[in-house]
Formats: sequence, structure tokens, C-alpha cells
Amino acid sequence: MEKKIRVLLFKPGLDGHWRGIMTVSKALSEAGMETIFFGFKTVEGVVEAAIQEDVDVIGFSVHSGAHLEWSRELLKELEAQGARDDFLLLIGGVFPEQDHDELRSIGIDGVFGPGSVTAEIANFIKEKLQDRGAV
Amino acid sequence: MAVSDEIWKGLENWEKSKEGWKGRKEAFKTDAGIPLKDLYTPLDVEKIDYARDIGFPGQPPFTRGIYPTMYRGKLWTIRMFSGHGTPEETNRRWRMLYEEGETGFSSAVDALTFSGVDPDQEVPGAAHEVGKEGVPLYSIRGMEAMVQELPIDKVSVALVVEPLTSAAITSMYFNIARERGLKKEELIGTTQNDILTMTIGYIPWGSLKPKDLLKLACDLIEYCTIMKEAPRWNPINFTTYNYREGGIDAVQEIGMGLANAVAHIEELLKRGWKIDDFVHRLAFHLSAHRDFFEEIAKYRAARKLWYRLMKERYKPRNPDAYRFRFHVQTAGCSLTAQQPMVNIIRTAYQALEAVLGGTQSLHTNSYDEAICLPSEESVRLAVRTQEVLQEETGVAEVVDPLAGSYYMEALTREMEERIWDYFMRVEEMGGVVEALNTGWLFNEMSKAFNKRRRDQECGEEKIIGVNRYVMEDEEPAPPFRTNPRAAEIEKERLRKLREERDAEKVAKLLDKLRKACEVRENVLPVVSELTAAGATLGEITGVYREIWGIWQLPFVA
Repeated sequence: MEKKIRVLLFKPGLDGHWRGIMTVSKALSEAGMETIFFGFKTVEGVVEAAIQEDVDVIGFSVHSGAHLEWSRELLKELEAQGARDDFLLLIGGVFPEQDHDELRSIGIDGVFGPGSVTAEIANFIKEKLQDRGAV
Repeated sequence: MAVSDEIWKGLENWEKSKEGWKGRKEAFKTDAGIPLKDLYTPLDVEKIDYARDIGFPGQPPFTRGIYPTMYRGKLWTIRMFSGHGTPEETNRRWRMLYEEGETGFSSAVDALTFSGVDPDQEVPGAAHEVGKEGVPLYSIRGMEAMVQELPIDKVSVALVVEPLTSAAITSMYFNIARERGLKKEELIGTTQNDILTMTIGYIPWGSLKPKDLLKLACDLIEYCTIMKEAPRWNPINFTTYNYREGGIDAVQEIGMGLANAVAHIEELLKRGWKIDDFVHRLAFHLSAHRDFFEEIAKYRAARKLWYRLMKERYKPRNPDAYRFRFHVQTAGCSLTAQQPMVNIIRTAYQALEAVLGGTQSLHTNSYDEAICLPSEESVRLAVRTQEVLQEETGVAEVVDPLAGSYYMEALTREMEERIWDYFMRVEEMGGVVEALNTGWLFNEMSKAFNKRRRDQECGEEKIIGVNRYVMEDEEPAPPFRTNPRAAEIEKERLRKLREERDAEKVAKLLDKLRKACEVRENVLPVVSELTAAGATLGEITGVYREIWGIWQLPFVA
């Protein structure tokens, strides 16, 4: 049997806009992936859990305007735990298009702003993981 | 309304004449799923009795409005929900809005203020969020800076915070207002103080159990209204807007709102108060969404149902208690990041719904809000949208102008029945606190937002710029950015405050608050002393968390 893609989703910090990421979580499980949604979680906790649970993808959502700060922080923690290249990283939420390139240069693989379609997110995950030979 | 033979005959003829004409769709329905006919006639309002069901404005059942002359006497309040960066920057934005014609203030707070966390507290990453989603108000110093030199004696202020921080933020405001020489009778404004906003709407970090949130919400009602500390203040605003934003429909919105109000009424009656001690001060904050006529019918039905609830169940003596007072915000979730100028058009139609529905006050969203906080330019246009309605269109010149429309009256009746049924469903399962504890309410929300996502993605719900008339290679508008130094500035403000305040006094008062929480006394008197003495938001909320514990949300995604 084909191994299911495992996706870990969380909300960093204090921003309580949960609906977007919960919707994505549901859509990805409908697309055949196994999703774990943590709600609020520290980046330390998330990276640890991602390693333990052996997930393929870490996704998070920021609606507060602190998307750059949280992306940098996640990457810093991944590097600290020696897991810089172990996961496909996705961000969603409300942020300006002008910041997409910067998010990518920080190290986020998939950037999904307002109006993104969940099928695109699912396809993106499948294609990227295939490219990496992870599935 | 009697239906004559001539009308019957005409209808028959018309039915015959449309045979062979094909509709654009198989079936037409409202956003809430109410099936629609292609035409409404006197037959659809046959059972509606004008005197009993519609009546006159300012009189039961208030279908046509809660005041006799509505906007002829006083136009609705232009109240823009606003805040960003630091209290000083927010103050500048509020001054600008006031000069542009705003007639009421409303504070949007940041995630820390909402959750009761200080920026120098050991909450990982808290500093990233300072001033990002709204104004940081961590102590009385911040509050003072926000309202500095604003005419708060004449212009009402809405404090958009929930039970977790409503006592602290409201008392900061009251303390500052008194310092500025205002008497308690002169304090005009609102605290949102809504338990459902922070349990099924926005999920704050480290929230309390529903019963503790309800306690805090009722403490503020008791303090302002019953103890008459601020008799003209609205100590609560049942914010159905925030539940609606999650994807539920207009019927669920008002059904949940009524059930929420009942939970507070029952709690206060249980405390031994009489209905007339407080019920006239309960107010609402509704959404204006995409379905134009359904939203207007919703406002008319909500007024009628509030009247019915009061009359059948609580029977207050104060005639004001029967008036359903509400603020409206146009639907943020209807805005798109794509072709953002189209948001101006959406917002204008939604604002018109609110006005035709008889709102008391209105916030219009800015066109860039699907991308960032509003810029000066975009928020000015949002104010202008209301000014055009008030001064150019003539829509405010006649009370409830859509009354008597066969469609509007039939739809109002249909909404009324559906809302009451939904409200009774929540009541039958034990009310909103029980429905929160079991996760039922959240499940309702989650079903709704997942359905909405599917409808949008398959194109069943059409959205210009997203699934219709999509433009490739759109040039994005320059985004508004909040002050990147806000965290630094606010940490420094707190450092100075902690240095200058009487630390021993604050510590003693925090102990007093611990005791009040343990025996479940009203927290307001001691919280008011605390904020005056320079206690911070995080310190006060920290006591609630310490004594009552944090709520584990009963749901999985």
C-alpha cells in the first residue's frame, strides 16, 4: 500500500484566526493525506513533533501580519535541530503578494495567500514530494 | 391582506404566460437556502396582518425600526473599527477619521491585548504580534495615549475586547475618562464582551472555560448597568458578526445571538437581579453579508424576535428593553485580495443593506483588508461610502422603505420562523454554554466553513476575481505596514510603568483579585483599582488563568 503523506499544521504565536488552516486541514485529508492540526504551538514544539511523527510537510497560517517573523523563526529552529531540509514547508494566511518572494527566500517552499484553492495546495505537496523522491 | 379574484385570475394568466420560458438555474434560493419563487404577490403576504406583524416604527413588534422617526431624527453612527502599531499612531488615525466625518470611535486591538498577554511576558513570540492586528493596550498608559485629546465626552467609544480582558480594558478607559473630568453618567460607549467571539469566532491563546467567560461578561454588565457605575455604557454587544464570518448563514447568526443573550440574562437572574435591572442595555453587532434582500429581512426579523422573546419570556417593564439595538459591520470574509477595488462595490451594497435594515451604527470595511490593515486612503474611501449614503442617495429620508414589498415581507416572515427554530434547538440542548462544552457550536461552525470552501472552489458560490472574471498578472497594491518598532516601544512603556508604579500596592491588589476569583465575586471593583494602580493586562488575566485554569477546546480539526 502506498504510504500516506503526513502533514502537520499549526498556528504560531497568539493570532486566533484558526478557520483558514482548519479548512486546509480538512481539504488535505479529503485529498487523501494524513493531517495533524495542533492549534497554537511553539516552533520548538512543532519541530520536535514533526521529527517524532516523521511528517512530510509542516504548514502554518498567519493572519496577523507577522508572517515574515514566524517564517524566520521556524527556519531558525529547524536549523538548530538539524532538520533544515527534512520537511516541505508551507505558509498560508493573509499577507501581501509583495512578501511572497521574501518568504521563499527565507526557505518556505509553498506560499498560499488569500484566494488560494485547496486543490492547488494538495497538488503542490504531491508534486514537490515526488520531486524530492519522498513518496 | 385580502386577495381578490382579479389577483387570482391575473396570477393564473401569468403562470400560463411563462410556460416555455427557461430559468437561468434549476432552482433559486437565498444564501441561507430559502427557496425563492420568481415572483412575490399579495398571495405571499395574505396571512400577514399589518397591525400585528409589521406595525409602526418605534412600536411593537418593531419590525420597521426601534425609533419612531429613525434616520429623520438622527443618522446612524459612522463607527470605524480601527487600530494599529502603537496607541499614539492609533490616536492619529482616529483624529484623521474624526476629521473625515466619523461619528463614533472603535478600537481594534492586537492579539496580545485580546488574549491578555504582556509583550515582556514569557509567551513565546508574543513580541512578533505587538501592534500587528490592532492597537496594543497593555496598561492604563496605553489607553491614555489612545484617547488623548479626543472628544470622548461627545463621541462614543467602542472597546472591542472580549470577557478575558473586558474588565481590565473597560476599567482603564473609565479611569482615564474620570481623570479627564468626565462623570460616570457621561460615559458613552460599548464594550464588546462577547463569549462566543472567543470560543467559536477567534480562538485566543490561553482562554478560559465558557462558564468563567460568562461570569466575567456578566460581571461587567452588573458593574456598569446594575451597580450604575456607567449607566449609559453598553456593557455587552452580542457579536453575531464574528460567528457569521466563519461561514454560517443568516439564520444561524441570529439564532446563536439570541441564545447567547439568553445565557447572560439567565446568569444575571440567577444572581438575584431583576430583568429590568439590566436588560435594556444589552446590544448586538450583526453582519451585512452578500445576499442583499435576505440581510435586510434578517434585521427586520431580528427586531421582531427580540420583541417576542422579551414579551413572552421576560416581560420587562422598561419599554426600551424591547428595542433590539444593533451595530453592523460589512462582511470581511466577502472581501478578496484579487482585484481589491471590487471590495469597494461589495462594501457599498452591504452598507446599503444595513441602512435599509435600520442599523444604529455602521462600520464599512476598507478595500485592502483581505491583504493588510487599512491604509489611510482606503479607510477614507470606506468612510466616504457611508457619507454618500447619508448625504447623496436619499435612502435615509423615509423609515423602513422596503416595508410592504411582497418579497420583503414574505422573506422577513420566513427568516423569523427559521431563526426561532434554530434558537430553540440551541435552547433545547441546554443553551450556549452547554453547546460550547459539548463542542456542538464549534461543530456547526466547522461544517459551515468547510461547506463554504467547497462551494467556492466548485464555483457554486461565485466570487468576482477569484472564480469569476479572474485577471492574470494583476499588479498588487502597495500594502500598509504597521510600525516595526511597536514591540520595542511598548516594552519600554511597560518597563517605565513598572519602575514608577507602587509595586507593593499592585501585588496586594493582585492578591485581592485572587480572592475575588476564588469566591467568584464581581472582579470589576478590584480590577478597576488595579488598572488605576498601573497593573498590566497580563498580570490581571494571569490571575484568572491561575485560579480558574485554561480551557481545552473540545474539538479536533
